[in-house]
Amino acid sequence: MSIALFVLRRLGRGILTIWFAVTVTFLLLRLLPGDPALAVASPNMTEEARATLLQQYGLDQPLLTQYVLYLGRLFQGDLGTSFTQSIPVLDVLMERLPWTLLLTATALVLTVVIGIPLGVLAASHKGAFLDRFVQIVGVTGQSLFVPSVGIVLLLVFGLNLGWFPIGGAYTDGVYGGEWYVSVLTHLVLPALSLTLIQLGSYVLTMRATLIDALGDDYVTLAKANGLSPRRILWKHALRNALLPATTLIGLQLGFLVGGAVLTETVFAYPGIGRGIYEAVTQLDFPVLQGAFLLLAVTVVAANTLTDITYGFLDPRVKTS
Amino acid sequence: MTTPLPESALVDSTPEPSAIGATRASRATWRAFRRMPLGMISLGILVALVLVSVLAPVLAPYPAGYGMDVLRPPSAAHVFGTDALGRDVYGEVVWGTQQSVLVAVAASAIAIAFGTVVAVVGAYVPKLDALISVVVDLTLSLPVLPLMILIAALVGPSTSTIILVVAAFSWPEVTRLVRSQALAVVKLPYVDAARLMTRNHAWIVGRHVVPAVTPVIVVSVVVTASRAVLSAAGLAFLGLGDPTTWSWGRILYEAQQSGAMVSAWWLTLFPSLAILALVLSATLLSIAYNDARNPRNHAR
Repeated sequence: MSIALFVLRRLGRGILTIWFAVTVTFLLLRLLPGDPALAVASPNMTEEARATLLQQYGLDQPLLTQYVLYLGRLFQGDLGTSFTQSIPVLDVLMERLPWTLLLTATALVLTVVIGIPLGVLAASHKGAFLDRFVQIVGVTGQSLFVPSVGIVLLLVFGLNLGWFPIGGAYTDGVYGGEWYVSVLTHLVLPALSLTLIQLGSYVLTMRATLIDALGDDYVTLAKANGLSPRRILWKHALRNALLPATTLIGLQLGFLVGGAVLTETVFAYPGIGRGIYEAVTQLDFPVLQGAFLLLAVTVVAANTLTDITYGFLDPRVKTS
Repeated sequence: MTTPLPESALVDSTPEPSAIGATRASRATWRAFRRMPLGMISLGILVALVLVSVLAPVLAPYPAGYGMDVLRPPSAAHVFGTDALGRDVYGEVVWGTQQSVLVAVAASAIAIAFGTVVAVVGAYVPKLDALISVVVDLTLSLPVLPLMILIAALVGPSTSTIILVVAAFSWPEVTRLVRSQALAVVKLPYVDAARLMTRNHAWIVGRHVVPAVTPVIVVSVVVTASRAVLSAAGLAFLGLGDPTTWSWGRILYEAQQSGAMVSAWWLTLFPSLAILALVLSATLLSIAYNDARNPRNHAR
């Protein structure tokens, strides 16, 4: 398959996924027992204002017309108006998106940086104590409840030891280099909690694929050629095991975003997740709807990008 | 939030096609399982949690109303301490167990039933399979928690809403697991032979395909249930739990709301331990079951 066709297919898939997310949201909002108008009109409005708004959003039209109108509005980036802040939902969310991106990206990088050595360690000591230990840590890591992890870190490193701030994303009133330092120190605990819940499955997958790779013919050949075990492990087997393990991360992005929502809530981190939490308390439905759609678009875009990058890095991906 | 399964919890062996050896195989599995300490301990913890949930009315009075002793650390009178309104945290955790177990059982039952039917029908009817696998892939690649939040907020928080919402987004994972197994089963000769005997497709699916994928279903029950607990706790932590029922997530949510989360460690420790105990033992149980099912681990 040519590169162009491969890229086109991945892009098409990304667009299909976004369309699916939009359609599911539309159908759920319209077909659920709740009042669909809630997604645009606040119950606190006067009857008249509400009727005008509903008409403006075409909510008095048949379902199919509504669907087309809905798609058209989303296409223009119109996610409605926040009940509580009376400004466009997109503006509310775009202000918060960079923080969520910073948090999740940091957690992803940490997961990979910590996860690869742990996976290699376990696979190269298969069956030994070290391997058992990594497995136990991995399985436990998968069973953690994000807020619990966040709260523990916050209590220990934030309050008792006082090493890191306990909430927010930066210190108010500082500028220049100091501001960036404050952003970093505020990032440590939330990123760590998000990493901890993500790490388990990454390490376990890394371990399993590496053990598979170590059983392959080219490893036997490399051994027969007298290459050192260390060289075989890091240079040959690991390279082949990286791809499936890292693809898993792509598949997990949706889960990671869910984790970010909870982490941001614990640490009062001003990302989309904290926005969702606040919108829940105030029943700000347009914000909730917009947050889901924006996060879905972000996840799909990130996935599509990584897929395409893999295609360039590893020719096997394109042919499969 | 929830993460995908460890490789070891996924399906590892070929299906067991014949229904004839089924009882013998399951007995051998049980024999192998009994010798696994981690598996047995996990099973014990799960049984204990179910017992706690059933016996909740006996174990603790329902924590309601305000008490005089606010935010007291654990003591003889209140083993898990008291919360910001002076309610007994032990009672909250016990009653929270009941709700969590209920959500886990109900949500995973719905998700398993629906997910299995979709998977098996898809595997049996190739025309539907393409559509089903696309829907499953698409759903699994979306951030599900924000969508669950939106729906739960719109419909209004209640235990049944949570069960339905969690089930609605858990079935694709079940379908993914069961489908890969079912695809292998429908190609086996005995399914072809069954096609020669009858044109009753429902009978073939029910009698021959479903039994062959049962081991995968057992694994997904456990895994789906533990994920359901995590999702429900996540929703409750964000304030979308049933406000009339105690749940582990609600204890954490109220701790956060009252600002006592950072000062009163007992408010967060005990519900967190409860969640960890349930989810971890469910995960270990599924791993042990998979190991036990592997004939290589059966003693002669």
